[in-house]
Amino acid sequence: MKFTFKPSPNYRNTQSTVGIMFDLSMCLWAVVLFSAVYYGIAYGPALGFRVIMMTLVSHVAAIGTEAVYFKLRGYDVKKELKHSFSWVTALILTLITRLDVSYYALFVGTVMAIIIGKLVFGGFGQNIFNPAAFGEALIMNSFAGSKTAAVTADVFSGATPMAAMNSNNWILSSSALGNLIKGYGGWGGLLLGSYPSVIGGSCAILILLCGAYLLWKKDIDWHLSVTYLITVFCISLIVGLIKGAGINYAIFNIISGGVLFGTVFMMTDPVTTPITIPGRMVFAVGCAALTLILRWKSNLPDGVLFSILLMNMLTPAIDKLVDGNQIKNQVLIRRKVVYTSIVIILAAFCVGMTLDKVAADTTPADTSADVTEEAAGLAVEDFTANEAACRIWNNVDDAAHVYHCSAKGFEGTNKATITVDATKGTITSIEVTEFNDTPGVGDTATTADELGRYAGATINSTIDATTGASLTSGSLRAMAAKALSMASGK
Amino acid sequence: MSILTGPMNHHLDGHKDLTKHKDVLKTIDPDQVWIPLVNGNAPCKACVSVGDEVKVGTKIAERNDHFYLPLFSPVSGTVTGIEKFMTSGLGQAEHLCIQNDHKHEKVRAFAPFDAEKASWEELLDFVKNAGMLGLGGAGFPTYVKYLKPENVDLFIVNAVECEPYLTADYKNIEENLDLLKTGTLALFKLSKAAKGCVAIKEDKKEQIEDLKKTFAGTPIEIRTVPDLYPMGWERTLVYQLTKKRYDKLPIEAGCILNNASTAIALGNAIDNGMPITHKYVTVSGDALNNPQNVYVPVGTRASTIIDAVGGYKDGTDNVLLIAGGPMMGKTIPNDKFVIMPQNNGLTVLINQPKEEVKCLRCGRCTETCPSGLQPVRIAMSSAIFDEAEIMKLSVMDCIECGMCTWICPSKIDVTENVRRAKNFIRARQTIRAKEAKK
Repeated sequence: MKFTFKPSPNYRNTQSTVGIMFDLSMCLWAVVLFSAVYYGIAYGPALGFRVIMMTLVSHVAAIGTEAVYFKLRGYDVKKELKHSFSWVTALILTLITRLDVSYYALFVGTVMAIIIGKLVFGGFGQNIFNPAAFGEALIMNSFAGSKTAAVTADVFSGATPMAAMNSNNWILSSSALGNLIKGYGGWGGLLLGSYPSVIGGSCAILILLCGAYLLWKKDIDWHLSVTYLITVFCISLIVGLIKGAGINYAIFNIISGGVLFGTVFMMTDPVTTPITIPGRMVFAVGCAALTLILRWKSNLPDGVLFSILLMNMLTPAIDKLVDGNQIKNQVLIRRKVVYTSIVIILAAFCVGMTLDKVAADTTPADTSADVTEEAAGLAVEDFTANEAACRIWNNVDDAAHVYHCSAKGFEGTNKATITVDATKGTITSIEVTEFNDTPGVGDTATTADELGRYAGATINSTIDATTGASLTSGSLRAMAAKALSMASGK
Repeated sequence: MSILTGPMNHHLDGHKDLTKHKDVLKTIDPDQVWIPLVNGNAPCKACVSVGDEVKVGTKIAERNDHFYLPLFSPVSGTVTGIEKFMTSGLGQAEHLCIQNDHKHEKVRAFAPFDAEKASWEELLDFVKNAGMLGLGGAGFPTYVKYLKPENVDLFIVNAVECEPYLTADYKNIEENLDLLKTGTLALFKLSKAAKGCVAIKEDKKEQIEDLKKTFAGTPIEIRTVPDLYPMGWERTLVYQLTKKRYDKLPIEAGCILNNASTAIALGNAIDNGMPITHKYVTVSGDALNNPQNVYVPVGTRASTIIDAVGGYKDGTDNVLLIAGGPMMGKTIPNDKFVIMPQNNGLTVLINQPKEEVKCLRCGRCTETCPSGLQPVRIAMSSAIFDEAEIMKLSVMDCIECGMCTWICPSKIDVTENVRRAKNFIRARQTIRAKEAKK
């Protein structure tokens, strides 16, 4: 009889990492199949098939990359592949891309996600960023043009709910939001995911079921997901109420976009999130605040992905923050969690306060009473030679849109900051920031008196050229015309 | 427990039905016994010499440093020598070898004693001289706990037995309810506590009824605790019963605890005048033909016991022989070691190595740690020898209960990593102490 020595304990739970990953994969496949069926029914079998094909392409890229890497490093390829779980990255990455992303972009994105997102850090268990989120960020930023046009035209002809909200500055009154939701099949449509979005990000009910299953199997921890959802809900509810939106605004913030998918499948990735429960709660609050801030203020399609990546970066710091004995330092740790959360939530509130106030619901204007004004003045002048260009600097307040503009004058390009009252369609002020024409000649057009003539001008006003500096004043008029037309949305 | 900490315990599959309902085998009478001359880390001094005749109950050795503890002969026969070999604690120790003459001649180690009439001081002296020690596993001399019983609110008899596979306490209580009552009341008196209770797991329904009957009319309550591990650990049990935490000793939270088998041993000493000579030991595990409880003299070899219960299953050639249960018991690389007074079990498991996967930082070890530690972070800091960080993570609070290894889905030996960190800290402290002396 051989008596083997092994350090105690010699008793093991039945749950295994392989089992956890198996459950997770099953749930992700359920989402893939749902999407395949949805796109297949809604847009034709070819697109349903495309969902499956994209999943497979991503799998080939992920597993292939790792196989090559392990082979080159001289590892036991089969064993390492089994314990590296790269297919989970492939599945998640496929589910958070849009259907019109080309196979090529997805393939490169997956390869990069595996190499730079995971292997360079030391493989499974060592990576800092969620590899799938990393891959999708890469696809979004570097392969924006690599789209399959036919699919884009077919599926993404209209705006996604996220894009629609973005064009409304992410704040809408209760009834306006209700109208917007109606466009996507109402609440039922949002819950079932019967609208185009990222491949796996739409069916709220299915994702919640997956989350419940994973919780029941004790594969994921509820603290993070629940804290995240509650924080998103509360911040958007309070900011929404202050700004004049309804409760449906807070609910919309939770069930739309990547919030549910992110919290069930991505934030629960233990490798890239803090180890302790207090740490995970800080992580969740941070993610929630960043999700909303990015939604409100960035031009990104959704805030979830980048909120995860940004918080991933802070994971070691959070782990350090709540270090120590969880019993003896309980009070201290609790205090740290509460204070950190308060600061983060306040930051989100401050950003939320800069949102536009919801306008009173306007009844559609009576078009028959509209008298079409005769185009005149700046509107009919020809400014082609000036090549005027304007950049939106601030268009939050409709009473004062600010544009940074430039236009060619006599010798060089002049620049000016123009403030426009978009509600009236008039120029409030114009201020020259860079003057590159002949000093002593062209600058007669840029004196305060001369510039004062622009105040109150509309697109139809006629502004006479300054004598002796007609080309410089031409550039100013070109910029004014451009800014006014941008403010009117033309 | 709050929302910010995990449950800090977990239900374990106890496998207790393997032995719980089987009769205790009491016929084991080995030809030789070896009494380990060690208590805790302190050596004990033999007070008999080679060739001496001893009887059951003869004092053969004593510990006499800052604690006092006598050891008694479990058999009658002749002292044949002193041998040094491995104990069930994995250390090397001297063992006093006694040849058993199978005559079972007894001497009363001490006169019968009336615990009810005796004064507190007399009772304390009795417990000290009877060689009572913590039979739950620590082997700590019992009287030490009762030296200064001030402001004790609750006296607890620990009958939880949360270690998987073990049913020795269960069988011991089942067969010795009267002795348990005598011993418990004596210890209760000694503790000067306001209240007393017997803590037992809620799933042992029949025994709870028996205990309630036995302790009817006494100030001792029967309190049930959930079937979780490590519910039998002092801190977890005190917290479960009083919601109080303490720094070093349970008396800070107004509690004194003793194991149920310690109380029974004291009852035996009071009623029958006999010291600890025999032990109930659970012999269980999936590598054995016939798992059951045995009642054996202290100093019986593990091999003798395993042969007596029917040996290993056919076809097993590689086993883990564990002194105790699978969670806290240590695997011993031979079967020559003997049962010490504080041993409760021998678990023999077929060696089935599990494939280890990389740590995925899931934090389950942190959530279930009854001491509130973060084993993952301890292992990480230990890998880079970051002493300050390891101390900040209060690694020395680890009791090696084994929860972190048990829960680890990646099948990593987490407890061993923490143990290594502890050893590293101890080594550093020793070096520093030496340097300070210079």
